Amino acid sequence: MGSTAQSLPRKIWQTLAAIKTGVILLILVVILSAAGTVILQRPATDADEMQRAYSPQVLRLLDALKLTDVFHAWWFVLLLSLVSLSIIAASVQRFPNAWRFFSRPYKSPDESFRKALPGHVLIPITDEEVALSAAERVLQKAGFGPERIVRENSFSLFGERHRPSEMAVYIVHASLLLIFLGGIVDALYGWRGFVTLTRGQQSSQVVPQNGPVHNLSFAVRCDAAGQDNYADGSPKKWWSDLSVLKDGQVVLRKQIVVNEPLVYNGVRFYQASYGQTGKLDKLVLTATPRDGQGSKDIAIGPDETLSLDDDTTVRLAEFIPDYVVSDGQVYARSKDLENPAAHLVVTSKKTGAAVNFWLPAIPGLEQNASSPYFFQGKDLKMSYFTGLEVSHEPGQWAVWAGVLLMGLGLALVFYVVHKRIWAVPVRDARGRLMLWVGGTANKNKDAFEHSFRELVEAIEFELKVSVHAGAEAPVAVLAGK
Amino acid sequence: MSRVAKIEQQPVATGTTLVVMVGLGVTFLLFMAFLNVVKSGNLLNDSNLLYAALIFYSGAGTLYLAFGITGVPAYIRYASLATWAGLIANTGAVARRWYEAGHPPFASIYEMLLMFVWTLAALTLVAEKKFGVKVIGTVTMPVAIVGVVLMQLLRTEVHPLVPALQSTWLHVHVTLAMLAYAACALSFALAMMFLIQDKMKTETFLAATSVFTIATYLGVLTRFEKWGGLSLIAWNPQEKSEVFISRGVRLFVVIPDLGWLLLLVLAAAAAPLVLYLLYRKTNDSRWLNTANRAVFLSILLQVMALAFFVLRARDGRYASLDAEGLFPTSLAASPFILSGLVGAIFVSLLYLLLLWRREDLQRMLPSADELDRVTYKTIAIAFPLLTLMIAAGAYWANRTWGSYWSWDPKETWAAITWLVYAGYLHMRITRGWRGRRAAYFAILGFAIVMFTFFGVTYLLPGMHAYA
Repeated sequence: MGSTAQSLPRKIWQTLAAIKTGVILLILVVILSAAGTVILQRPATDADEMQRAYSPQVLRLLDALKLTDVFHAWWFVLLLSLVSLSIIAASVQRFPNAWRFFSRPYKSPDESFRKALPGHVLIPITDEEVALSAAERVLQKAGFGPERIVRENSFSLFGERHRPSEMAVYIVHASLLLIFLGGIVDALYGWRGFVTLTRGQQSSQVVPQNGPVHNLSFAVRCDAAGQDNYADGSPKKWWSDLSVLKDGQVVLRKQIVVNEPLVYNGVRFYQASYGQTGKLDKLVLTATPRDGQGSKDIAIGPDETLSLDDDTTVRLAEFIPDYVVSDGQVYARSKDLENPAAHLVVTSKKTGAAVNFWLPAIPGLEQNASSPYFFQGKDLKMSYFTGLEVSHEPGQWAVWAGVLLMGLGLALVFYVVHKRIWAVPVRDARGRLMLWVGGTANKNKDAFEHSFRELVEAIEFELKVSVHAGAEAPVAVLAGK
Repeated sequence: MSRVAKIEQQPVATGTTLVVMVGLGVTFLLFMAFLNVVKSGNLLNDSNLLYAALIFYSGAGTLYLAFGITGVPAYIRYASLATWAGLIANTGAVARRWYEAGHPPFASIYEMLLMFVWTLAALTLVAEKKFGVKVIGTVTMPVAIVGVVLMQLLRTEVHPLVPALQSTWLHVHVTLAMLAYAACALSFALAMMFLIQDKMKTETFLAATSVFTIATYLGVLTRFEKWGGLSLIAWNPQEKSEVFISRGVRLFVVIPDLGWLLLLVLAAAAAPLVLYLLYRKTNDSRWLNTANRAVFLSILLQVMALAFFVLRARDGRYASLDAEGLFPTSLAASPFILSGLVGAIFVSLLYLLLLWRREDLQRMLPSADELDRVTYKTIAIAFPLLTLMIAAGAYWANRTWGSYWSWDPKETWAAITWLVYAGYLHMRITRGWRGRRAAYFAILGFAIVMFTFFGVTYLLPGMHAYA
């Protein structure tokens, strides 16, 4: 079978399976991912910063080569696919041999194998049966589970430990593919987005970073949210009490914190941010009637109307967290609670007269003097939002399964050694009866050499004992050493 | 002149320089320690404990070095004792920190360095006892010393844990990372020991080291030198970004006189190469001896240049040729210069290590084959640890941010480290790479680990901001 006879697909397959290809692909992955960490990446870096960091020509070139989003570029995906293919090809090509080795262990060593095996010794013996049973006892005790192998013209002994170690490499490679599979599933069918809720609000729509809004088959409601601080004022904990509603019914309640998401129907809700909306929740005021008798505290929300007495009501018409007056108009400068102003409308039921009460009094707008009640600010309760990161990663179970499998595979690869021992009665060149004992390990060979020597010594000792025993005492008494 | 005679003679010639250098270093440290104790007043706070650890580690390093030079076996025993003392002081610093912070010290790069150095010292003692690699400390102790010195430059105040870091998985992740990194450091040290033990010509390395250093300094000088000063990108400390004049055009400031110093270093770095070429031409080994001494001088100057560069770039405001006023710069603005200077020192030091090969040192070390095998074994420990470290990190990220992998620079570099060691394992297992090539690979792997640990944190942007 000359190489000229090979078809193109076969050649491609061979190339993919070669370790050289694998290593070249790995080097490419290393170089390109390193590039992805050195060059600023979209969308993590905003467009403005990208333009500041690179000159227009360079940026255009980087964009054209997709070097500004390496990890989502088609060529990076292609490269990872090639790596996967290479792993598959290499495994498939080597697997049949390994499987044969694994499923049909070589138990009865022939002469050429006996000569070629580096680790072997010859022990002079007098009787084949006595020698084999001595070796059998030693191997049994060492956990090799020896078995007698009877062929037409020979019989011998074979013992081994930890055969599954031979399959370990395939387990590791399979686990890597499983992790890739999970990643691909998530890239295709997974999504991420954001939901912002204030207290009491509910939503079933998730807004992704890009792409259309995702509609959930259920709604999530924020019952409460808050921030706990350390003594020095830095945040210690953000939490949200969430309820999941399905057809108007609460089906699940959970308090989430930063490392503790809520999971429902494969969708996960993470505590991502927490902050002020710039909107008012409740304004606490002290309302004092004109006559100064019977002042009371009221808590009023935006657009809420409260009765102050039988005749008078008050409505919070406007709340501006950071106001500024310009040309006789009130504007909001920012959403931060810097310079708040409240606009109350005090109405009399009987007369229908409405008075604009401003806190603080803004000249030109306020009619505070004609109001039946005076108001004094006591407390501000701002409304807070909780930001929830939402993700759906159907492939993550494949990833975690892959990780566990890889742990198992690596443990087998590095720490579990497949050891094999053979013992065959043979005649040497001068016709003397010998016990040929050979052993091999698939890794950690120096340590095996040591344990092999110990095994051989044990067999020699056992042989001496048995020979002695044959003459004087029953074997069973002395077999335990 | 016979080869043996040359080996016997070489270290004696270079030894004095070394001892003087190290002695000066230790004196400096003791002086600084004294100042520190006077300043803080409290004897047993964690920075003093750390200083004690630094002094013991430096002592251990010096003794290991002294053994390398003189071959007196007693030094090894004292070095081992000093390492124990350093480890105890280090444990005290860790415990103190833990007690003060109320959480295991894994939350910042300072605390992680503390753990890394601790693990490294512990592993050094393990390697001495278990593998019989008695002089491993010659490599690991300098790494530990650099770690502790770096900690002195970093912020030390205890911060409460931000919400994202309050997770058991974080502790699992960081513990695994430190174990893995320390195992990588050990494999690097063993690979170096292998190179010392392996019968190889150091002269070729002299040329390579010299060329590398020259190339680094030539690169830096041609790009950044301006009228004897060093032209660096201005840095805006508030925004933590480079200063731009217009789109894609950065503002440069000039640190005066630093260029001359780098030019001097360049000359010093070129000297060994010239002397080596003379040696090749005349075949007179005196040239080689002089060349080796020139390497020491070059390292001394390189360290000085680095110190000046770091000190001046960290603080101070400098004039610019393109804009009015004074601007600060930062180490973060000049990642390539910084990594170039550190890299050149590192490579030169590696060469220095190779020079200590002596017959008695060789007798103290296990055989080259044994070292090769033990290097492989440490990597066989490091690799599964790296794998689990990445997995635990991914699991933690998934619980915190809802995504197990987001190609953040730290993540990516952890993956690169993993791939490099995977490459090593494949070459070793399927291609039978042994000895020198495997040792180079182990050294490369550790260099990448160090970049992942420090380089990514300081040089590349990302969300692994706390570590």
